[in-house]
Amino acid sequence: MFVYEKKLQYPVKIARPNPKLAGIVISQYGGPDGELGASLRYLSQRYSMPYAELKGLLTDIGTEELGHLEMIGTIVHQLTKNLTPEQQREGGFANYFVDHTVGVYPQSAGGTPWSAAGMQVKGDPIADLTEDLAAEQKARVTYDNILRLSDDPDVNDVIKFLREREIVHFQRFGEAIQKLRERLNEKNVYYLNPAIDN
Amino acid sequence: MEMRTQQMAQRQLTVETADPGYGVLPACAPLANPYVPFQPNNPVAYPAKNGVVRGTLFPGLDLPFMGMTNDVPLDDTPLHELQALCFAITELGLYLDTHADDSEAFELYRSYVRLQKEGAAAYEKQYGPLTAAAAAEGAAYDWLRDPWPWEYDANQKEA
Repeated sequence: MFVYEKKLQYPVKIARPNPKLAGIVISQYGGPDGELGASLRYLSQRYSMPYAELKGLLTDIGTEELGHLEMIGTIVHQLTKNLTPEQQREGGFANYFVDHTVGVYPQSAGGTPWSAAGMQVKGDPIADLTEDLAAEQKARVTYDNILRLSDDPDVNDVIKFLREREIVHFQRFGEAIQKLRERLNEKNVYYLNPAIDN
Repeated sequence: MEMRTQQMAQRQLTVETADPGYGVLPACAPLANPYVPFQPNNPVAYPAKNGVVRGTLFPGLDLPFMGMTNDVPLDDTPLHELQALCFAITELGLYLDTHADDSEAFELYRSYVRLQKEGAAAYEKQYGPLTAAAAAEGAAYDWLRDPWPWEYDANQKEA
């Protein structure tokens, strides 16, 4: 089960509203490589993991991603707080505003609502963990791109933190694949699917 | 083949001890598999208050984009102190998930958990419960107290 802790993993203090930037950062909330997809991917993949170290790692990283989802939601919320009528109409944000006002809705920067089509649960540990390596890289690049597009130091402070977490998670998923390999047929790791074959 | 294996093992040993940015690969790896080197046991670690602003406790994994880094530690507030300790626990927990036999890292993990318990108690005394159940420690049900974590003021608490 999950218990809510009433604090962020890392502080988010954004002094100036910036709806245009909110419309970019929202992609890490509900976009194809965002934190909602990350947490659901890992927390769903764990059920078919055959070994304790894989169950544990997916649970722990999936849980941390929920905390990151909250941080991204917080950035979007603070960037759209106390907007002037001019800011509501500002380039790019009006299309979001008309549907969601300043609520935080899981969608990509391009406006596509969050979709499970952007993630996979294959039910084979090597395939799933290899997807996880790619997912961390794609999230890392999204954060790189936000750093290219944003000149708000308060936002970038948080984005740098989140970006670095993707690198750490990539490392751990890579180690998890090495640990998984030790459990499999030494000559042919694809001999069977340990999630369903014994 | 054997010679090559020995040479690789030798190289791993030298690199591993010299630079925290290098890890360990099996001396002879089968084809058609993704390989990420294993982080060696007992890695160099930043103190929690530096690690939390870098986004990692481990210098070897600290790989910023275009030199953009957070170098200034967070202000000394009960919230920031707690966030740093919780961060160290999360980070070491993930490390231990793949390095469960690293007793020195586990010792460090234990010491951070002890500090975190003290930090959480001090924080709750001043700002209210961190969990709904922790409200039972107070005289009244104080769980609903504003601000909530996504609000600016929640992140601006003074020492």
